[in-house]
Parts: sequence; C-alpha cells; structure tokens
Amino acid sequence: MSQQIPLTWFLYFASAAFAIGLMGVLMRRNAIGVLMAIEIMLNAANINFIAFWRYGDAPAGEGPLTGVMMALFVVTIAAAEVAVGVGLILLCYRRWRVADVDEFDTLSG
Amino acid sequence: MIQALFIALSAFGLFMALGTVFARNLVHAALYLVAFFFVVACQFVLLEAEFMAAIQVLIYIGAVAVLLMFGIMLTRNITGDETTIVTGQWRLLGIGVAGAVMIVLFLGINGFKPWTDLGVRPEFPVTAESTTPRGQAILAMTPTVGREMMTRYVVPFELAGLLLTAALVGAVVLAQYDRTDETSAAAESPQP
Repeated sequence: MSQQIPLTWFLYFASAAFAIGLMGVLMRRNAIGVLMAIEIMLNAANINFIAFWRYGDAPAGEGPLTGVMMALFVVTIAAAEVAVGVGLILLCYRRWRVADVDEFDTLSG
Repeated sequence: MIQALFIALSAFGLFMALGTVFARNLVHAALYLVAFFFVVACQFVLLEAEFMAAIQVLIYIGAVAVLLMFGIMLTRNITGDETTIVTGQWRLLGIGVAGAVMIVLFLGINGFKPWTDLGVRPEFPVTAESTTPRGQAILAMTPTVGREMMTRYVVPFELAGLLLTAALVGAVVLAQYDRTDETSAAAESPQP
C-alpha cells in the first residue's frame, strides 16, 4: 500500500475516544452507564498499546509482542472488572431500588 | 485509500462512542457500545493485530456487552430513562472537562516530534521465512501469543487466572439472590 496511516492518527482517535469515555463517566447518573464509559476508556488505551507496538522499535530482550500482551491483560482485567461491577450494582439496586450513582449516599456525612 | 477508510471508520466509531454516552435509553447505549467495540476491532485489523481483533470481538462483544445488557435489564429504573444522565450545568461541566482533556492530549501528541515523525510502520517481509521475530509474530500471532504466555509472561498469566477466578466467585457471591436478606434490608432502610 502506497499511503500508510500515520501513528498520530491512531493516537488522535484513541485520545478522542478516551475523552468521550471520560465525559460519560462524569455525566452518567446510571451506574451501568458509568461502567460502559469506563469500557470506552479502556478500549482507547488498548488502541494506544497496539499502535505503539506496531510502529515502535522492538525493544531488545522483551519479546516480539510487548504491546499485544499488555493489551491482552488489560482485556482480562476489564472483563473481571465488569463482572464484579455488575454484581455490585445489582446488589445496590436490590437494596435501594435505584441504579443511579448519586443515590448511593449512605456513607456521605 | 486506506487513509480514507481509517477516517470513515474513526468518525463512525467516535459517533458510536458519543451515542453510548448520550443515549437516554441504556439499551440503545449498550448497542452503540457494541458498534464502538467493533470499530476498535477494525482498528486492530488496520494495525495488523488480527488476533487482538478476534479477542476484542469474542470478549467485548460476546461477553462484556452481554453482561452489561443483563445488568441493564435487571436494574431497570422504574421511573423511566429520564435520570440516566445529568442535565443542565453539570452536563456543561462534564463536556468542558472532557473537551479540555482532549485538547491537552491532542496538543501533546501534536507537539511530540518522535511520534509525529512515525508516519511509516516498520516493514516486515510477508513470507513464512521472515527472519525477524517481530515479523514472525505478526504473521503468526496466535502461536506466538501462546508461546509468550507460557514462557516470558507465565507469572502475569497465572495472576490473571487467579484474578478471573476471584472475580467469578466474587460476582456470584455478590449477585446471589437472598430473599430473607432483601426483605430485612427493605424493612430497615428508608425509602429513597
């Protein structure tokens, strides 16, 4: 292929997606919505990992797949986080009959 | 050609991400999120990491999105979809903070010369007898990932397994339906 995509384009896309995810975390009242926004942010970070792995030089003695392995472990952590997060939200919903984060104010002074 | 494809794909993906954030109906938001995950998988293909694209589709679209969908269904708000997102000045504040973060990130990327100079990715000969380990890893990523998991990254691999087991048990324990616990909690807690 004659014209390639520069590295910065991937970085711009990832940072825009990260900002949108941050917006969601700040603006969503529903806890599941907050979880979804966090997933967007994790995906943006994963794109950065893969892009830097593909465009950067191979570090000596670190193996051929540094960024991919890091992204794989991020995916693992994200899956575990969603499972526990949905369980917690379900528990809170049963207790207070709402799933909005600003209603969970039992610990506030 | 490939650049036009990237731009179209990225615009679609960002639009879907905005839909995830702004959709009032959470089921619609989850469907937008599935589309965003798929766009991210396409970006992985553009970055020649097809294994990661497959993992993205399997885990994010296959597992995480379904789990979130179940979460949405089980915690359906009785009062409707009007309270899923903040309104008024708080919305402006969120957009402002996120926009400021995005501008800072863009300026940082734009001003860092080692990144802006990286216009062309390192080439690897597309043959099975590729000499460099990187080229071989890109051509046959799945066996390479397996080998790396069992050799260099064996401790993180085991830790990830432990974490997943703990998360599985923890999620089951947390979400376990206990009728007596619920009635006593409903009796003692004030109505929201």
